Amino acid sequence: MGDANMCVCVFICLCVTSMQNNNIFNLCTTHQVVCINNINFQRKSVIGYVELTIFPTVVNLNRIKLSSKQCRIYRVRVNDLEAPFIYNDPTLEVCHHESKQRNLNYFSSAYTAAVGAVDPDAGNGELCIKVPSELWKQGDEMKVLKVYIEFSLDQPKGGLHFVVPDIEGNMAERGAHVFSFGYQNSTRFWFPCVDSYSELCTWKLEFTVDASMVAVSCGDLVETVYTHDMRKKTFHYVLPIPTAAPNISLAVGPFEILVDPYMHEVTHFCLPQLLPLLKHTMSYLHEIFEFYEEILTCRYPYSCFKTVFVDEAYVQVSSYASMSIFSTNLLHSAMIIDQTPVTRRCLAQALSQQFFGCFISRMSWSDEWVLKGISGYIYGLYLKKTFGVNEYRHWIKEELDKIVEYELKTGGVLLHPAFCGGKEKDNPTPHLHFSIKHPHTLSWEYYKMFQCKAHLVMRLIENRISMEFMLQVFNKLLSLASTASSQKYQSHMWSQMLLSTSGFLKSISNVSGKDIGPLIKQWVDQSGVVKFFGSFAFNRKRNVLELEIRQDYTSSGTQKYVGPIKVTVQELDGSFNHTLQIEENSLKHDIPCHSKSRRNKKKKIPLMNGEEVDMDLSAMDADSPLLWIRIDPDMSILRKVEFEQADFMWQYQLRYERDVVAQEEAISALEKFPTPASRLALTDILEQEQCFYKVRMQACFCLAKIANSMMSTWTGPPAMKSLFTRMFCCKSCPNIVKTNNFINFQSYFLQKTMPVAMALLRDMQNLCPKEVLNFILDLIKYNDNRKNKFSDNYYRAELIDALTNSLTPAINISNEVRTVDNLNSDVRLILEEITRFLNMEKLLPSYRNTITVSCLRAIRMLQKNGHIPSDPSLFKSYAQYGHFVDVRVAALEAVVDYTRVDRSSEELQWLLDMVQNDPSHYVRHKILSMLGKNPPFTKASESSLCNEALVDQLWKLMNSGTSHDWRLRCDAVNFYYTLFGLTRPSCLPLPELGLVLNLKEKKAVLNPTIKPEAGGIGGVGALDLCANGGIHTPISGFPSSEEEDIDMDTVHDSQAFIYHHLNMLERPMSGHCVGSSPVLLTSGKEPPLVEQTLLSMPATPLPAFIKEPSASKHGEHHHRHHHHDHKKKKKKHKHKHKHKHKHESKDKDKDKDRERERDRDRDAHAFTSSPASGRSLRSPSLSD
Amino acid sequence: MADPASVGSGSLSASGTRSGSGKTTTSPAENYYLARRRTLQVVVSSLLTECGFESAEKAAVESLTEMIQSYISEVGRSAKSYCEHTARSTPTLSDVVVTLIEMGFNVDTLPTYAKRSQRMVITAPPVTNSPVVPKALAAGQKRVHPPYIPSHLPDFPDPHTYIKTPTFREPVSDYQVLREKAASQRRDVERALTRFMAKTGETQSLFKDDITAFPLIAARPSSIPYLNALLPSELELQTLEETDSSEQDDQTDNENAPSNTVTDEAGADKENSVLPPGGVVPAVKPSEETVIDNPYLRPVKKPKVRRKK
Repeated sequence: MGDANMCVCVFICLCVTSMQNNNIFNLCTTHQVVCINNINFQRKSVIGYVELTIFPTVVNLNRIKLSSKQCRIYRVRVNDLEAPFIYNDPTLEVCHHESKQRNLNYFSSAYTAAVGAVDPDAGNGELCIKVPSELWKQGDEMKVLKVYIEFSLDQPKGGLHFVVPDIEGNMAERGAHVFSFGYQNSTRFWFPCVDSYSELCTWKLEFTVDASMVAVSCGDLVETVYTHDMRKKTFHYVLPIPTAAPNISLAVGPFEILVDPYMHEVTHFCLPQLLPLLKHTMSYLHEIFEFYEEILTCRYPYSCFKTVFVDEAYVQVSSYASMSIFSTNLLHSAMIIDQTPVTRRCLAQALSQQFFGCFISRMSWSDEWVLKGISGYIYGLYLKKTFGVNEYRHWIKEELDKIVEYELKTGGVLLHPAFCGGKEKDNPTPHLHFSIKHPHTLSWEYYKMFQCKAHLVMRLIENRISMEFMLQVFNKLLSLASTASSQKYQSHMWSQMLLSTSGFLKSISNVSGKDIGPLIKQWVDQSGVVKFFGSFAFNRKRNVLELEIRQDYTSSGTQKYVGPIKVTVQELDGSFNHTLQIEENSLKHDIPCHSKSRRNKKKKIPLMNGEEVDMDLSAMDADSPLLWIRIDPDMSILRKVEFEQADFMWQYQLRYERDVVAQEEAISALEKFPTPASRLALTDILEQEQCFYKVRMQACFCLAKIANSMMSTWTGPPAMKSLFTRMFCCKSCPNIVKTNNFINFQSYFLQKTMPVAMALLRDMQNLCPKEVLNFILDLIKYNDNRKNKFSDNYYRAELIDALTNSLTPAINISNEVRTVDNLNSDVRLILEEITRFLNMEKLLPSYRNTITVSCLRAIRMLQKNGHIPSDPSLFKSYAQYGHFVDVRVAALEAVVDYTRVDRSSEELQWLLDMVQNDPSHYVRHKILSMLGKNPPFTKASESSLCNEALVDQLWKLMNSGTSHDWRLRCDAVNFYYTLFGLTRPSCLPLPELGLVLNLKEKKAVLNPTIKPEAGGIGGVGALDLCANGGIHTPISGFPSSEEEDIDMDTVHDSQAFIYHHLNMLERPMSGHCVGSSPVLLTSGKEPPLVEQTLLSMPATPLPAFIKEPSASKHGEHHHRHHHHDHKKKKKKHKHKHKHKHKHESKDKDKDKDRERERDRDRDAHAFTSSPASGRSLRSPSLSD
Repeated sequence: MADPASVGSGSLSASGTRSGSGKTTTSPAENYYLARRRTLQVVVSSLLTECGFESAEKAAVESLTEMIQSYISEVGRSAKSYCEHTARSTPTLSDVVVTLIEMGFNVDTLPTYAKRSQRMVITAPPVTNSPVVPKALAAGQKRVHPPYIPSHLPDFPDPHTYIKTPTFREPVSDYQVLREKAASQRRDVERALTRFMAKTGETQSLFKDDITAFPLIAARPSSIPYLNALLPSELELQTLEETDSSEQDDQTDNENAPSNTVTDEAGADKENSVLPPGGVVPAVKPSEETVIDNPYLRPVKKPKVRRKK
């Protein structure tokens, strides 16, 4: 008895240490074997085992925490000894009984705590294995432990995705395949591991699959061996380079194999029938390889590379160690223009992440920005080399605009959050409705913006230290890592393969000798962008330009900038750069001008790039030598500049500045100056062949806007019509477009864009001019692609978009019902075209069904403008599973829009059902994010849709319904936030009332007779009870079959142990734990939680109290079942006692029991009633 | 009253003669035959006169004519057979001689007989209408045999049977009209086709009041949606082939390796038994650059026998 007590103490002490010092690992994995010996496509199940080789780094290691989600675990052995384990996943259901809370603040903190409680970065995990005491001694000597875990997955909802088309034939013929996926570290969804990017180990991976299938995984394929019955093959992979578990992946399917003709160690895989597309798509990959290896002066770190193209991919590109999984929709034939650059970009992205992200991993989550930044940065270099400087600068501007917009909207993206002291009180991002402490709590959009900002910051660093040094740093990091990777396991060598912010900065200062501290502080440690307002005056007497630059650093998402800023002034005598210091209070800057205004002299004007051009200077101010001024032309600050200069200056800038960014800025500025001069400048740019095509495309839209503003004074044919005619129509008959020839991509893009922009023109009645509409209809009519070597699907799709753009609201007389008879004649023509296009798609589908997508959009627009009756049924049929994903998304977008416009609760329900049930993860994610962007109502507006049932449904969705997909859960949180905000939804009864309700529930919990009453108060209560039932069912069903005499240190005992711990571990999530578990209470997660709830609403402390009884109810509930089986355990409601009991029994007749238990284990037991299985299988989300 | 009767009989006889004359003049071939027959009759009659007959019954003359006709026909037939037997198409004198001998005729007597003094010379029958070859098929000039074709080979058929005779109208060369036509034709075809599909299958409608107004072919989910969406349609492939074939070249170069891999996968069993374990199957033809050593191209190994513990 005394012995047992001591054990408990030790155990608890260990708990304390591990909980308090989150970042100290007490073990180190060095090697892991993953063996999946059966994959059943019919049942969508997987059986396998893992074996981890672990070096304890502390003495007395008696508990091993591993990450594992949704796996059913049959047995765990440590060095061939059965080990008891518990399996607890607090993220399955974030908030337990506090159903009345319903405020996002509360959820957010609970979710963060839940994720933190199992965060592998902090040494936590869902699976807690108790090391058998026999091995403790061994652990003392720091010997190796081998942890062997048998597991299975049944219909996994996350981690692995099965695609099984429902047709005739065997699985290979049907093209069934399975692949791993996940957002950030999600490997734990498909096998137990240490699911952290910072835990490296070597790997041996074995997959036994049907003989007609191929298993592609990380590392080198050593051999493929038939099984004895010759019906299956086993693929043996070895990955000798230390790799983190999240970088391990798997894809199994009847793939077609293509060995890269240029690099034989690179192999490509695609689904059956797509091989020709694969060949074409991959014919380019070797150039990307060469590029990266050249700039990094470093060989590709792995000995092989595999690309797999799968259907229903989670994201377009996901990189894993030595392999990448792509969406099959990236494949294209040689006829497709538009997809080609997109796909190549994706390939380049995947490859850059091979170096930084897979090979070099991150030290902790807060170092993620370095990896994303570097991979994004070298990807940018690739873009610059392949697509040219114009494209690169355009892309940088685009990304800058994106991040600026996002930060100003949401209040900032923080790249390197410092969690000093681990106190959530100083939350670095109070403006966000989610925590950025863990990757799994981030909203997807935020994460995308995070990546965007990261690579922009890398570019800023490059600006500071030069590209040469930058590449040297990367090379240094890579060579250190590759030296480390070839070493056998040594305690600290492998850490060279992990990149941290400080390591990176140190490397930079070593290589460049420059201090980039301020830069890092400004952009990395701080969130927000800079907002400049600039204006100027020219002082003729002093010949000085008086520039005023103001900043807005008070509104959300902004920060103050102090430091240098570059200003470029184009004068008559040339272009001059000035570096100004932005200081605290200096707003005005005097810049001396070089030239006097002497425009009478006909002289060429030198530009920045040395070119000298003739300009017509008649437009400019006679007194000023200034042509145009640019602030921060190199985009070396993350900023938004609003600069005021005269229209003629913008026009000069557009015409003569050679930088595409300047041209684009000028175009957007000219929108405000609808004058004939602007029109001329834009038209000239449009016609100029040398001008970057994206600038020209942008000019089209600007021209349309200007034309609309100048409607009354506009002369000549509609804007762009004569231009289009000249460029693309026949000389002899100008109303007929030439037969398509897209060999010149620039004119192709222009040809596509112009009609779309023209359709935006409006006449006095605010209608699209008849002339324009007929022109577009003629383009469609005379479109002839027979002589073209490229597909015209994108062009036709854009012509439909043009028709869509031409639509204007119908004149609605007294709300009459829209019928065929009162259809406007123009609309009738449009509708006929759309009908024909849509029907032709069924017979001759276009690439990626672009035409269907455009048609669906057009139909929704017709509905929205009241030309045809608004009806979602068509879209709903196109949104069904089984259509091409682009079509589905377009259809869903229309349904989402319908839901908002018509406030249809039925459609909203339909959408939410799809979020819960659709097989495609991407579609689920897309629905929620579209709902978030185009919400049926917002927190600011009243809506009949906003009701208690909806709140409950969404709450349930994010609380438990989306536990298998981090991204989806965050989407749900986002959507909830958009609808209801951070506080309690207004449609719910007042908090006071909820408080009463809570009180009642408390009573109900204590006294079961009141239960029904509590449930009767609202649907909420009833729902909760259901949810509870869902949890308890497996528990109650489980141990009753056991014999009574079986004793403690058995698997059975481990189950008791588990239940106890379930309770114990659940508590951090469920709020306050009163008394019973002091250890866990001080784990650093509770206090802030309470604080938050306190902040959000005064009534919350009470619910917190209520939690305790409910938790104990939980405990009681299952213990009741234990009573049947274990009379001995009668008094074990307090878990300490239970421990005691267990250890006591263990000491008693250890050996005997173990014998017996092993026997039984070998029998059915192992496969029937593991607690883990019970819990993972019947999670609350499933039980409903 | 007798008048009409006589008239009637007269008309009857007239019709009879007409029918008789009709018989003689019905067809040219028959006519020709009759003319010959008449000639033969003259010959027989003159021979009879030569032999001293003063008169003969018509029936007797007919019989003799029949006999001589048969005899001559037989000579002709037989002579033709002989000539064909020697692979010729035209009988020669010797053929006729052999025939006559074969028929038991003493040929030696023929010259003297032919030169007898009291012979009568009969003028050639006045062949008025030569045998008419049905003219309908003859069109244009038949080509004569070129020198290297032996003349006995059959003549060329009528030129119209083998010569291409381009017949065309003046093509519409107006570009605008052409495009117009092509466009409207395509549109009509498409519309008709989609209408047909819509009529025969399930449809969706945009209007509730008139579901036939703009019929949309109902969206039908497919089990492998990406195939249709990604693979170019046959029509597109066709146009691609038409427009460009040069680009295909580099594609075909690469085709060998993967096609081999597929067979390799499938035929791994067989190859395995032949090849030593671990041996690399020549995945690429030796002529095609070096052998690709890719783990996925290697054959699948057989399970080790000594696996059991």
